[in-house]
Amino acid sequence: MIKKFSLAILLSCNFLFADSLYEFTSLENEKRFYNMIKEVRCPKCTSGSLASSNAPVSEDIKLKIVELIKDGKSDDEIKKYIVNRFGRDVLYDPSFDKSTYFLWTAPISILLLALIIFFFRRKV
Amino acid sequence: MKFILRTFVIILPVALISFFYIYINDNDYYPGADYRNYDIPQFELTELYSKTNISNEDLEGTYLINVWASWCITCRVEHGFLAKLSNQNIPIIGINYKDEREDAIKWINKFGDPYKLIIHDYKGSLALDMGVTGAPETFLISDGEVLVNYRGEVNNMIWQDVFIPVITKYELFK
Repeated sequence: MIKKFSLAILLSCNFLFADSLYEFTSLENEKRFYNMIKEVRCPKCTSGSLASSNAPVSEDIKLKIVELIKDGKSDDEIKKYIVNRFGRDVLYDPSFDKSTYFLWTAPISILLLALIIFFFRRKV
Repeated sequence: MKFILRTFVIILPVALISFFYIYINDNDYYPGADYRNYDIPQFELTELYSKTNISNEDLEGTYLINVWASWCITCRVEHGFLAKLSNQNIPIIGINYKDEREDAIKWINKFGDPYKLIIHDYKGSLALDMGVTGAPETFLISDGEVLVNYRGEVNNMIWQDVFIPVITKYELFK
């Protein structure tokens, strides 16, 4: 009986003392956090997201994101906070603005150009 | 029609090559250097020796901020050059990054103190707010605005290539 009892306690240890590294007030916030750390690059790594990185600065940023989420900041505000400090290249999904319009439109415009040339050539 | 096609065939590659030529030869780019200008963040920390409070309002004029730690090997490599700069009367403010107070003081006693003032940033909160990714990092600041941020060891070459152009442009340290 004692054996069984201690075995039961031993096996349940994992679940009794399991605690999450980051604390959130709601499931929604937790989801937001885990989505966000996949979209932000670790500034210390060559290429890797915050989620994939254990670098001290990544840990700090992750804790900061948790804190900002707790403060009720929106995703855009948090991203702005990180971009202001570590530069625009920390975002894996670059925003569409004056300096990136070429980046976003080049593939489509070159494809269109190629198609136009292709169809005109057929008629000749 | 054929004429348009022919010109396209010539213009397109030429345009692309010249675009990337200009882009790659962009003089503003230097590995590790960041020339974005932004205000230094607000903070409330203590001085390393005296434990007196320091806030962003206590820092005035033009100065360098150097982020260092006693556990940081590259900071030791860099230390000699910082001493040289400090001998040229360039004020350097140290941010002691994620370090124990005693370790930091021991380190300074051993290798010399080029700093005008050392801020003890135990949790790295100020450093995170300044966009520090690790030690060492050096900032050139004038009137509360960051002009240059260099990630890595500052030596004579980096000083000449990254900092001197900005210093001459804004006519600092005069």
